[in-house]
Amino acid sequence: MKNLKRFLSLALCLMLALACVPAMADGHVKIGVLVSDATSSEALAFRAYYTEYIAKAYGVEFIYSDELTDAAGEKSAIDNFIVNNCKAVISFSSFDRPSQIDQCDAAGIYYAVATGTLSDEQYNEYKDYETYVGAIGPSNQIEFQAGYDMAAYYIDQGMTKFGMFGGAVPYYNDMHIYRAAGMLAAMVEKGGEGANYKGADNAGAIIGQIYADGSIEPCTIGSLELAAYVGGYDFNDAWFGKLAQMVGTEGIQAILTVGSGVDVLGGFISGSGVKLATVDSFTPAMKEAMDNGILDYMAGKFAASIGPIFAAMLNAVNGQPIRDGEGNALALGQGYWVATSAEQFAEYSAVDSSMTDPAYTKEILDQYAAAGVSYDDFAEFVSKYSFDEIVALKK
Amino acid sequence: MKKRPLLKKLLLSLLIPCAVLLVLEAIALGKGVRLFANADSWKLFFRAVANVTLTTFALSINLDSGRFDFSLGAVSMLSATVAGTLAQQWGIGPWPTLAIAVAVAALLGLIHGGVYVLTRIPPIIVSLGMALFYEGCAFAFTGGKGVSLVTRTDIIGFSTIGNYILVTAVAVALIVLLFDFTRFGANYRALVSGQKIAVETGIHEVGNALGCYAVSGALMGVVGFISLANTGSQQMALNFGSIGIMFTAFLPMFIGGWIGRYINKRVGIMLGAVSMALISLAFARFDTASSVQSIVSALLLVLFLIYLNNEFAILSKFRGKKEAES
Repeated sequence: MKNLKRFLSLALCLMLALACVPAMADGHVKIGVLVSDATSSEALAFRAYYTEYIAKAYGVEFIYSDELTDAAGEKSAIDNFIVNNCKAVISFSSFDRPSQIDQCDAAGIYYAVATGTLSDEQYNEYKDYETYVGAIGPSNQIEFQAGYDMAAYYIDQGMTKFGMFGGAVPYYNDMHIYRAAGMLAAMVEKGGEGANYKGADNAGAIIGQIYADGSIEPCTIGSLELAAYVGGYDFNDAWFGKLAQMVGTEGIQAILTVGSGVDVLGGFISGSGVKLATVDSFTPAMKEAMDNGILDYMAGKFAASIGPIFAAMLNAVNGQPIRDGEGNALALGQGYWVATSAEQFAEYSAVDSSMTDPAYTKEILDQYAAAGVSYDDFAEFVSKYSFDEIVALKK
Repeated sequence: MKKRPLLKKLLLSLLIPCAVLLVLEAIALGKGVRLFANADSWKLFFRAVANVTLTTFALSINLDSGRFDFSLGAVSMLSATVAGTLAQQWGIGPWPTLAIAVAVAALLGLIHGGVYVLTRIPPIIVSLGMALFYEGCAFAFTGGKGVSLVTRTDIIGFSTIGNYILVTAVAVALIVLLFDFTRFGANYRALVSGQKIAVETGIHEVGNALGCYAVSGALMGVVGFISLANTGSQQMALNFGSIGIMFTAFLPMFIGGWIGRYINKRVGIMLGAVSMALISLAFARFDTASSVQSIVSALLLVLFLIYLNNEFAILSKFRGKKEAES
């Protein structure tokens, strides 16, 4: 028995030593990635870009967290990254960003926000942290504009009666609230004289009204009508019933969705003649929906849009962080590609889904993941996010 | 034992669904809304009846034997994912897809049952593990993308009132047949009443448990397919994201138990599901916020359980008052 214990102890020590060898010998950079969504098509596309393209192109290793559901999970995941000797954390999770930044700073590892931004107050607090690399993604203003453009697209075609799917508006998700507010703002602006949403006739008031209600009420907005609204992700019979009712609302011409439009409404839209617009990503399922006339308008984050934040992070890890003239971290906005036809969608999708020649290739990123890149150069690079501008960069 | 006349039994059986309908119609009248306004309302109602009836059967089959099952939603999700993917690849129609979903789900149920009888770990723990395992399998099977059949009009076209009624009727008939008119059903009832005595009389509890898990799984396969055909897509869920579906089955299960005093218990469960479907329809028609829906559902469940636990006292008080008055 004693010998067996000795043998087991020896075997365990040997295993531990062997496990440490590759980690010590291999000098590659490990980056932890915090995710609160591991299943949406958008999240999967981002993950594929990092793990199937960037990891191979740059010889870095991405360690993904589980699908996080709260701030405690974020803290525990960062602890795990620290134990795994990660040099940096890229966060797609926003339950408690200040705590994430503080925790990474205390551990001396770099931190960056992907596909999102910090609030002005948060940015002012953390912009001069040495370990805070910055944030690149759609700001609330860009989300607002995405909603505005979607509604304006149909109103300009002469449509007057709309439905709206508010996604996570009832859960006070900023991104969805701003998109929905943009849609309502377009209706107010284009609804003729005196048009308003529950008395609100400007962007700030509309956003405030949605935050106050946690919901959106169907109503007449000048000459336009928001005839039906469904929010939340209940996935129960009553919720599916509401969605079917919305599609079946008499005279409804288009349904504007803040996200997941095809997934939650595709089955009901099919054959109804109602136009469906959404914010999603350039996946084969969306392409099929677009080809078959189920999806009519899509604003999509492209998978490689998270390339620039990786480049900025790599610069920081290599000791060349990109800072503005006052030493502040990055805070850059980045918007969507909008497809309104099957041909356009196919063109975008071909670039977006490529794992050999994605939108942001190593050749492009290398120009900015290098010493001496100024804040302004980097900001200009990020600001050229439209499909045509990126294609021009590739040339 | 006091025998009730058939008509009285029938009236008592229909008491809860009729009372629910009357209350909801009264509220609808007050709100100026029609409960059954159009074909979509009927479709919602019959889909809810089918979903809730089948889920409640699936839950109660094992729960009556003390086997709590958290994996029902995961079985439904994984079977629909496999069937939907094959439908996409092979171009098969709705009925073969449904058959695949049922077969896959029955197999998943059987595997779950197998793990339980082999390991003898408490069923609630096994079911939690299986729920996570099946969620992970569905995610891995599709690379997390889920299944999208929104362009498959034949499969989406399955979502008709006629098909919902057909599926519900066939499921109720088969379950009544299996659990009330076969040796398997007799053994099941004996095991539910007293496992030790039943085993001592020669009933093979392992085979019966495996059968129950397989039947429960098959029922969830139908639920998974109904959901897939309804939306045209199957979303993925991780970290117990799939377990919510089982909570829709508790109230109809208890209502079914109460109605089961007057009529066949399985038919009682279906009538309980009808009551729940009416409530779901009302939630949709009244545009009730999800938070309010949760509160109302929880209150109804608690109130019904309070009534069941204090039924004798409540009825005695009521009868005593009547006698005193007379």
